[in-house]
Amino acid sequence: MDNRYGNIYALTAFCPLRPESDGTESPTAVIRNVLNHEPSDHHGAMARVPNTFLCRLFVLDDVVYQGKPAVYEHLKSNYLVFTATVYGDLEPYLRGMWINAAPFVREVWRFCIGFDRVHDEITFARYIQQCQIKTNLFFNGSDDPGSSEHSPAEQLKSLYVQQEFARFVGEHQGLSAGEVQEAFQRFVARVRPDDLTGPTWRAGASSLDDAVVGADL
Amino acid sequence: MSNISGKAYAWNVLSPINGGRLIALLKKLSFRLAGVFLPNSLKGLRTLSTIHYARWVIVRDADFPCLSPTQPREKLRYSYMFFFSDFNGAWEEYVDAFALAIPGSLNKLWWHTVAWPKVAPMQPFHRYIVRNQLFTNHYYSAYPMASSTDVKASRNVRAGVSKLGAVAMALSPADFQKQYHTLLKELQHELALIGPTPIVSLAAQAVEEREREDTHGHS
Repeated sequence: MDNRYGNIYALTAFCPLRPESDGTESPTAVIRNVLNHEPSDHHGAMARVPNTFLCRLFVLDDVVYQGKPAVYEHLKSNYLVFTATVYGDLEPYLRGMWINAAPFVREVWRFCIGFDRVHDEITFARYIQQCQIKTNLFFNGSDDPGSSEHSPAEQLKSLYVQQEFARFVGEHQGLSAGEVQEAFQRFVARVRPDDLTGPTWRAGASSLDDAVVGADL
Repeated sequence: MSNISGKAYAWNVLSPINGGRLIALLKKLSFRLAGVFLPNSLKGLRTLSTIHYARWVIVRDADFPCLSPTQPREKLRYSYMFFFSDFNGAWEEYVDAFALAIPGSLNKLWWHTVAWPKVAPMQPFHRYIVRNQLFTNHYYSAYPMASSTDVKASRNVRAGVSKLGAVAMALSPADFQKQYHTLLKELQHELALIGPTPIVSLAAQAVEEREREDTHGHS
């Protein structure tokens, strides 16, 4: 068990950056600026990438020094660190990332060494795999041991149903058995608990006002 | 900079490993064994219901990708352990909960790292974490409004609703009511209403504050 826990994949990639002295722009400063301004909710690029549970990006510009008597040492390059926890296999995920978020990928990775050879989803997947670092220990706290892992689409649907049902229960207290039964059947027809296409929660939604997608008006 | 995406916090800790290549190799081996024997060897982590995911990655200089002949190869005396975690709650709560719930496991996981102070007493441990934390520039969660506990609870709710929904029409009102009440009893701890967090991300909060200042001026 390393990069994978059942159907969940832990991607860790260190993408080397061009030296700060190349050109007129500082790759580190530009990338940090782009990343800091990218929305982290459903308006962000990563919300469009299927099967992403969580991901993070940051620039690693050196190792840490622990004080004397530790050795004082430095990295020779800066690295764009990309970690993602995804559902399913890595290569289709990376291809989906390019297909759904290519402008964001180009903007963030454009200063990375070797990225000039990336021009489509296949070369992007190959490039990230070249930068991949093996995960040595992966802990999954979102799935109980022995249970099957759920995809982000299943998870978003479950959260939608949970919220709708919690409201349903509160709103239908004190009614007769027949009334609750009829209302429950209408409720199930509306929320469609087994239909992952909708209605459901939007990936990345950070507010209840715009969380639900695909509901009948 | 944003270590926060709604209820999730991205925690990155970098630790140099003492003792040369052999110790790094032993650590990798012990992690592999811990992975193989999960959940027993790391069952303490499961008692922390606030963790979505966590990973440990050990890197030596030769592992850093070198993609061009002009890129200098890294030359480092230490191997380094990267710890990446996605958890719910505030930094102090998590760090303290981590230390109090699984102090022995933490000391084993950080075994042979340079200047590791051990988990207790807490103050040196906090100082170590602050000194070794790396900040995230962009953090995304598919469901920033949900905690790890919400995630697991919601699956049970959907399964229960789906199961009753499949038979509801065929039941008499009395039988339906019986099964409905049974379902509510089973799900009573899992029907919490979720709300957004006050701060979705530090970057978004900074933008909001700046816009507020631009509109109303400095107070």
